[in-house]
Amino acid sequence: MASKSSVVTLPAKARARRSVISGRQHLAGYLFIAPWLIGFFLLTLWPILRSFYLSFTEYSLLDDPTWIGLGNYEDIFLNDRIFVQSLKVTFTFVLLSVPLKLFFSLFVAILLNKSIRGISFYRTAIYFPSLIGGSIAVSVLWRNIFDLNGYINHVLSWFGIPAVGWLSNPDTSLLTLVLLNAWQFGSTMVIFLAGLKQIPSDLYESASVDGATRWRRFFHITLPMLSPVMFFNLVLGVIGSFQMFTSAFIITNGGPANSTYMYALFLFEKAFKNYQMGYASALAWILLVIVAALTLLNFALSKYWVYYEAEGGRSK
Amino acid sequence: MTKASKKSKWRLGLTLLTVALALAGCSGGNNGEGGGAPNANDEGSGGSAVKPVNLKIMWWGPDARHQATLKALDLYSKQTTNVTFTPEYLAWDAFWTKLATLAASKSMTDVLQMDGAYIQDYAKRGLLEDLSDIDLSGIVDSKLIEKLKIDGKLYGIPLSHNGTGLAYNKADLEAAGITLPAKDWTWDDYFAFAKEARAKLPEGKYGIADNSAGWDWFQFYQTSQGKDPIMVDGVKFNLDKDLWFQFQQTYEQFRKDKIVPPAQVQSAFKENDPKADPMASGTVMTRTATVGSVSVLEGMLPGKVGVVNNPTGPSGGGWAQATIFLSVSSSSKNKEEAKQFVRWFISDKEAGQALGMTRGIPINEEIYKELEPTMTKMDTIGKDLLNTALDKALPFYPAPPGWEDFVKTYQTEMESVMFGKQSLEKAYENIVEKGQETEEKLSKK
Amino acid sequence: MMNRAYAKGPMSHLTLTAVSLIMLYPVIWWIGASLKKNTEMGLPSLWPDTPMWDNYIKGWQVTAEYSFTTFFVNTLVMEFWSVLGGVLTSAIVAYGFGRLQFALRGFWFSILLLTMMLPGQVTIVPQYIFYNNLGFVDSYIPLVLPHFFGGGAFFVFLLVQFIRGIPRELDEAAKIDGASVYGIFLRVIFPLIRPALVTVAIFTFIWSWDDFFGQVLYLSSIEKYTVGLGLRMFIDQFEIQWGQLLAMSLLSVLPSVIVFFLAQKHFVEGIATTGIKG
Repeated sequence: MASKSSVVTLPAKARARRSVISGRQHLAGYLFIAPWLIGFFLLTLWPILRSFYLSFTEYSLLDDPTWIGLGNYEDIFLNDRIFVQSLKVTFTFVLLSVPLKLFFSLFVAILLNKSIRGISFYRTAIYFPSLIGGSIAVSVLWRNIFDLNGYINHVLSWFGIPAVGWLSNPDTSLLTLVLLNAWQFGSTMVIFLAGLKQIPSDLYESASVDGATRWRRFFHITLPMLSPVMFFNLVLGVIGSFQMFTSAFIITNGGPANSTYMYALFLFEKAFKNYQMGYASALAWILLVIVAALTLLNFALSKYWVYYEAEGGRSK
Repeated sequence: MTKASKKSKWRLGLTLLTVALALAGCSGGNNGEGGGAPNANDEGSGGSAVKPVNLKIMWWGPDARHQATLKALDLYSKQTTNVTFTPEYLAWDAFWTKLATLAASKSMTDVLQMDGAYIQDYAKRGLLEDLSDIDLSGIVDSKLIEKLKIDGKLYGIPLSHNGTGLAYNKADLEAAGITLPAKDWTWDDYFAFAKEARAKLPEGKYGIADNSAGWDWFQFYQTSQGKDPIMVDGVKFNLDKDLWFQFQQTYEQFRKDKIVPPAQVQSAFKENDPKADPMASGTVMTRTATVGSVSVLEGMLPGKVGVVNNPTGPSGGGWAQATIFLSVSSSSKNKEEAKQFVRWFISDKEAGQALGMTRGIPINEEIYKELEPTMTKMDTIGKDLLNTALDKALPFYPAPPGWEDFVKTYQTEMESVMFGKQSLEKAYENIVEKGQETEEKLSKK
Repeated sequence: MMNRAYAKGPMSHLTLTAVSLIMLYPVIWWIGASLKKNTEMGLPSLWPDTPMWDNYIKGWQVTAEYSFTTFFVNTLVMEFWSVLGGVLTSAIVAYGFGRLQFALRGFWFSILLLTMMLPGQVTIVPQYIFYNNLGFVDSYIPLVLPHFFGGGAFFVFLLVQFIRGIPRELDEAAKIDGASVYGIFLRVIFPLIRPALVTVAIFTFIWSWDDFFGQVLYLSSIEKYTVGLGLRMFIDQFEIQWGQLLAMSLLSVLPSVIVFFLAQKHFVEGIATTGIKG
């Protein structure tokens, strides 16, 4: 294993593979991505282009779309207060829930990354909340826990804290949804776990020989080696959180007073409740631009902290 | 693993995939053709005048309704041997999402259940067939039919009676010694009832809910005072400022005096949910109800529920009208068969027996009489509600297309007021702004 | 392994038990509630006075014609193809993006990521029209087919990240042994990303189980209903059969729990334990 020493010291290796790419290499590349490429042209591209076109139309779903140019976009940016509100709600949600979820899931993944008796049961138990995701039954469950006379208030009352309608008060409702979302950290955690398992154990062994402390090993081996997976979870966390829909839809329905009116819920109601699919499409494309810009930023910043073993160090 | 065995595994996988896709493709193709196949067969064999027809039909509802309707469809196929059905049944929310998608792909079912809240949306865009030429004499009261017409045309055959009113927790009110609501009570009586209930009920229990965020609750108030609805003829915005402030200030005072539940209790209510329903949970003594929903409430509070009509003003209060329909889609290729079926659906006695009360009180008096002997309290409570509502009922004002947007704004602005985050004046301003915007959009069309 | 030092201590059992209990409280509540009558649902008690096993019996036989047996079989068959498609193709595509150099690679990868950022609510109607024109509506094709084309951007990106974490020296060694890019994929990369592939399989399974929106649009005959659609039959505008809904929802997550339980041990067989014959 040539890589062990390199990880601890992280030397920037020359990326020598920049040289000329042969025709056969191009062909191989395209052959491998062909399944996706074919699917993209066959299944994905048309609906995307269509929704882009629809964003310049008034389209009720029930009759044919009529071209109105930038009309929807003008309405959204100039007149729509709910657009501003839902953006505010969504940005707050993303800012709070992404870091919280990353932290939780990394913490638990490290706890679960060991071979002790019964670990399978612990893993499954901890993953369980993430399995019940979007089921309607969950909405009752949440209300049962966060209700005025629910479980949380019951526990708080032992400490003399007055009852709060966690989900029915505009000051706490969004925060509660953030917590619920963080509680379902299973998928992120599993990805971390898979990432942890991929770290070669001899790295730790040689570090132990060097006398590195546990914290040192964590910061100098675990974190750098885990950074590609961390980066993945961050990027996908941001993309996913911006489109957060289910919990707002089934638990709070956006309320009270629009305090949990997530962008995706706003968009859904425009499309399927108000029958304004053109408007909804414009909203979707605005979201796409926002998320794409943030993702681009994420990729740009990744140069400074994501370490790819295959590239032999931090890319420049 | 060796290279060779891996290769063969791959090949196996790919073969399976191909076979699966081919199989799936075949079955999919067959389904797409739907009723086409039997057509071809029978034409060859028969030569008779009746051509076999497959009607696609879609409705929403709970399981009891599904089972009853399937039975009725079977019955019709036995009586009218050339007609078969492809039924599809969903829950309320999913139904409307799917129906819009079907409309967009121009593949709506031949026959579909319709609701008063949506019929304008679909009718005005030419998606529903005019059913005025179906002879309903002796089945449905012709005055009732006239009321249902949109621009002079009938876009849905009414299936059942509906009406609004209030349900109240009779047992608890009597126990607390509170005067029970009486038929044709006024808004003043209603507010007085709320105050009396506050005085006699323990803390945390209330006589009435805080309905200030519901646009329709205020519309009831406005129209009961002899004014027009909030959207006159579906095009002109008309929110009476004085009445509105009078009404909302009453509620504001009630919130201060704890006559209505505090905002965070109110916004946690979810009707018909056993734990979160304002009345079933025991928090509030009254609740708005319709003929359709009151039996569910009776189911949650067996034997405890009483009904009364909406509070009235000088010109009346509430509404009583059919809100569930069967419509025929204008793109159907079997319109005549569909129309015949729709008429049969509300007139045939056997069908009436099969369907029972699964869509509320049957519109056809004769069928209702046949069912009456076997009814339980859950069945009759809807009828009781209808009976109290009929006398003073005002017209039903259907929501104009795109109204949901206004509903949402009204609710949000008023919730902000309820939570003390906004003044009534500011809320009024925003609601009016939205109303005028909606008016502008509607008059453009 | 880094944690081995304190892994065996009673502390970790204590922490893990505590965390598990917090996570499992809802399940305990859920089991209790699934045995309640509709009228008991509002009570704060965790457990009903007399358990209504009927909720399970009646709930299972949701309609006169079809029971959850049909729905479970339908869903599992559908899931089988989705998982197969996802696992087979995502690794291939990810290897292309993660290891090979070819023209416009960056461009296509950006497009791949972009397809994730457009909310599905606005593409679903055009998509429905597309499948409707092909006559694929009321079949599982629209739900399964996309999994055979790379399994979705999420999984491709996930595997790309894992592949980029595998040392290039392994490729080089294989190359010296005479392996082509295809050989490297099959003999080096594919075995090494197995833990990640298990993740792909689990997530595909769980997420397509949950995809209610797609299922409600594309499946209309009840004999083709999935578990998710079956559950919706307990719900209507005014009326919800809570006991039966909760009972069947609980059963509906069991397959995912079992799949997760069986699959999770494969995470352990990562690069650390399989060893590398480089």
